[in-house]
Parts: sequence; structure tokens; C-alpha cells
Amino acid sequence: MNRGNRVLLSCVYWAFVLYVFVPLLLMILMGFKDSKFIGFPIRSWTLEWYQGVFADTEVISTFGYSMAIAALSTLVSVLVGTWIAVLLEGRRFRGRTILFGLTILPALIPGIISAIAFRIYARGLGIEPGMGAIVWAHAVHNVPFVVLVVMARLSTLPKSQVEAARDLGADPLISFLRITLPYLIPSILGATVFCLLLSFDDFIRSYFLGGYEPTLPVLIFAKLRSGMSPEINAIATVALVLTAVIGIWAERFTRRQARESDA
Amino acid sequence: MSTAPLVSIEGISKRFGKTVALEDMTLDIAHGEFVTFLGPSGCGKSTTLRILGGFETADTGRVILDGKDVTALPPERRAVNMVFQDYALFPHMTAGQNIAFGLELKGMDKGGIRSRLEEIMTFLELTDYADRYPAQLSGGQRQRVALARALAPDPALLLLDEPLAALDANLRAQVQRELKSIQRRTHKSFFFVTHDQQEALAMSDRIVVMNQGRIEQDGTPEQLYFQPASRFVAEFIGDTNLLEGQVRDLADGEIVMDWYGRTLRGRSADAVPSRNAPVTASIRLEKLGVYTDRPDTDNVVPGRVVGKTFLGSRMLLDVAVDDAGEATLKAYVDSDHGRSLGDAPLWLGWDASGMAMLRD
Repeated sequence: MNRGNRVLLSCVYWAFVLYVFVPLLLMILMGFKDSKFIGFPIRSWTLEWYQGVFADTEVISTFGYSMAIAALSTLVSVLVGTWIAVLLEGRRFRGRTILFGLTILPALIPGIISAIAFRIYARGLGIEPGMGAIVWAHAVHNVPFVVLVVMARLSTLPKSQVEAARDLGADPLISFLRITLPYLIPSILGATVFCLLLSFDDFIRSYFLGGYEPTLPVLIFAKLRSGMSPEINAIATVALVLTAVIGIWAERFTRRQARESDA
Repeated sequence: MSTAPLVSIEGISKRFGKTVALEDMTLDIAHGEFVTFLGPSGCGKSTTLRILGGFETADTGRVILDGKDVTALPPERRAVNMVFQDYALFPHMTAGQNIAFGLELKGMDKGGIRSRLEEIMTFLELTDYADRYPAQLSGGQRQRVALARALAPDPALLLLDEPLAALDANLRAQVQRELKSIQRRTHKSFFFVTHDQQEALAMSDRIVVMNQGRIEQDGTPEQLYFQPASRFVAEFIGDTNLLEGQVRDLADGEIVMDWYGRTLRGRSADAVPSRNAPVTASIRLEKLGVYTDRPDTDNVVPGRVVGKTFLGSRMLLDVAVDDAGEATLKAYVDSDHGRSLGDAPLWLGWDASGMAMLRD
């Protein structure tokens, strides 16, 4: 690569970094501003908004509600997704391509459309809007990601591993539990964190399928309607730090696990 | 010990789509025998191994193990264990846990597992590595762990799928000797699959040469090397001279052939060809004697050295045979002897017992 190209490439890289992080930085800064109005200049600083967030029982309970939804929907998607991945990988049967396509489809449908469809379907089935409906919609939406991640890992499991287990006396179930599953753990963990973040972050499905109790993104949206305030920045910053920490930890953990078992 | 074979393979065939992997194969393996299946890739040797292990099902035929028909049994219900080509050690278990895996699944109690583990790890000199993970072991150590894991449940038959292929050349020769000595000391039947003829010759009690889903020849290493039955076997195992001629006479268990107007005598390990039929004879390089005076051997041809290759202790000679067109024969001589040979005419001589008449 010549010098001109290198300079251009690093310019593009830094432009991208600025583009991604400057808005986040501004949002974080505004959370510390000692004034109700968002915007520069910041004349004095305060932690008042953060104190407000941690004292606000509505925010705290909404946070818990969102986490519970994330945990439940993730549990469902990881179980179903892993099961489908194991079913699809390494086997040739009639209709496999169609089944795979149908599995991936929920990830490709625009959120608003799937949210409306779920709403109509839920009403048709007599399912009340609320936690159950949200968990259901999130789980369906997240299954494809689990399937893709777990299948990718499963495709690298040498066939001889399972054969060796069978050879040594393990029936198909035991060889799955003791050989295949441990091999899949890094990918399952990765998929779990990804699902948690997707669910925690979701607005559209939660908005359409929610009952009276809002999830965190829905609450932020509701608060926005009554006017922008640094309190929202503070809530968003807490959520941002939390998800970033979990995401980075999971990414590193998954990579280390994968490296160890491949070595 | 009973005289009945440990394993009887009765007429198994296997197809993958339109490809014939095995064609009506029948074979017995005796107790305590080291049998090697030798052949190029796609010859059916691995398919046979996988059918014995229970990983493939034969289309026709039966597999009898220790008097029981195991044809339809899955791998976990056969008293057969396998050493895989890539060893297939479980990466999330230590060497000790890997070896104990088969014992646990046999339903052995903790004390039994511990003492068997101790025994097998001492036997294979693995005691220092019990707590290491496969990633922390060298290639040779992994190979031994794989062997220990397969031997631990005390199988009636051990299957080995080219387990030395991943080792470097120096280590391989050493492991060959170890493996042979382990087999002797355990008195187990080993079913070894390889495409490496040298490996097969060095370790086996018996070699089965496979080609295109069929058995080409079945015999001791010496028989296969010195009395190959077919051209395929003669060429696949070792270096050889092939002489194409015509059958002139059959007498006293010998076959007399005509080769460029000369009469040569040889033996056949297999079917006797008919008179006047074309025939190919195989004579090993080291069976050819190089003489300056006409020797008193069954077969004698005159020639001239046209090429020398120095190989260290010995030398490879290319000898152009007089009045035989382009035909040259290759022979090994002692290096000192080879150096002293000039352009002068010389003689090649060999006995009938060393020359094998081949079926095509």
C-alpha cells in the first residue's frame, strides 16, 4: 500500500470514529449540565440528574422490567435457536433450505411490520399486551441470531469428536451433552449476550405489544414527549455504560474460549 | 484360546451413490493379530474400518465379532475402539479425563476407573501428563493419549485409522516400534489402516492390500514383498523391475517366460497363466546380482551400466540390457562395488525363486 492510500485510509477511519462517538460524547456531557436546557455552553456541572435517576422508582422498576424481559426472551431464543442449529447443521434432508430460510426470516422483516403483525396475531389469540407478549416477540426476533452463531461454531466441530464419544460408549444424547454442548458454549454465551442487548434495546416490539408498564426505551420515549431534559441523558448514559461493559466482556470471553478449545 | 477367528467379515459391500467403496469383501481376523489394510486413498480400506467400528452400515453382508453378529449395532454397543487419524481428543478434558471417558461410560466405579487409569497411563508412560489438556501436549503425546483412551475399555479389537500420518518422519519410526511392542504385550488384535507401505511392512503380522474396493492380496509382509501376486501389489509395495514377456513353458512349479528372446524362470503366487499368454514378472532391485563374469544363476542377462545414483551405503544402477530395445533394469550394489564399475559389459543374474510372475 502506498503512502497516499494509507493516509486516506486512516482519515476515513478517524472520521468514522468521530461520527460514531461524538454524538455519544455530547449526550453524556449534557447529562452533567446544571440547567434544564440541552445545548452549549455548559456553564456549571452537576450530578443532580444522576441522583434523580437513581432516586426515581419508576426508572428503577422499568429498568428491572426490561432486564426481566431480556432474560426471559433470551432464555427462550437460546434454547430454541441452539436446538434448530443442531437440527440443521451437518444434515442433508429434504426441505432443509426452506427450513433454514424460514428460521432466518424473522431477522429480516422490518421491525414495524413484525410488531404490527405480532399485535394483530396476539389479539387474535387472545394474548393480553404485556410482558408475555413482549417476551414472545423478542424471542422470535432473536432466534435467527442464535441459530447463525451456533451453527457457525458447530460447523467447525470435527466429525471425529462425536464419533470418538460414540466409539467409547456414549449414546447420541450423552455424546451431545458431554462433547457437542461444551464445544458450543462460547458461541452460546456470545449469542446470549447478543440477545440480551437486542431485547434490552428494542423499542418497536415493546411499544406495540406492551401493556401499561413501559420498558426502558418506551419510558425514555414517553419522557421525550414531555420535553428533552438532562435526566434522559443520564438514564441513557447509565444504560449505555451497562450494555457496553457487558458487550465488551462477552466479546473477549467468547474469543478466549474459542481460542482455547481450538488450540 | 479358541481357534475361531475374532472377527469374520462375510461378504460386505458398500456403495456411496454410484461409487463402489467395497465389493463383496470377506476376511477373518485372528485373536492377537496385527492386520494392516494397505492401499491408495479410495480403495475401501477406511470404509472397512468404519464398518467394523459401526460408523457406516454395509449394504450387504455381515460382521461377526467374537461369535456375535454386530452388523446392525451402533458404535457404542461394540467391544471395538478406535484411534482416529486426528486423534479426536476432547479439548475440554484433560488427558486423564479423556482416557477415563470410556471407562465411565462402561459403568465402572470410581475405584475401578482410578486403578485402570493408573495401569494404562503407566503402561504408555503418560503419568506425568494426566492433568494436561490436549492443547498442552505434543503430537506424539496426543497420539499416545488417543491410544490409551482406545485401549482403556479393554476392547476385543482396536481400530487404527492412519494414526501416524500426522507425526513427523523421525517420530514415526519410533512410534511404529512402540505400537508393535504395545500390540505384542497386550495380545490384542489391531486393525491398522494406512497408505504407507513402509509402515505396513514394519509392523504387520499380515497385510491386506486393497484396490478399488477389492482385496488384491492377503499375506505376510515377506510374501507380499517377494511374491506379489499382481502388478498393483508389486508396484505399490517397494521398488521393483517389471519385465513384460510371454509364457513359454510351465514346469515344476516354475513358469518359463520369453523376454526379448531370452529365457527367464520365475514363480507365481497366484493363478498359473496359460502357455503363450502375455505375462509380467517382477524382480526386486536387491535380488539382482551384478557380476563381471557370467554367473551361475537361473536367470542371466548381459548389459551395461548407463546410470549410477549414490544413495549412501549403496548405489542404484541403471543397466541397459543388450539386445532388449529400450529396456533397462535397476539394481542395488554396495557403494564401493558400484564405484569400481565402468562401461565394461557386465552380467545381471538372479534365481527363479526371487522373480514373481504377476496376474494383471
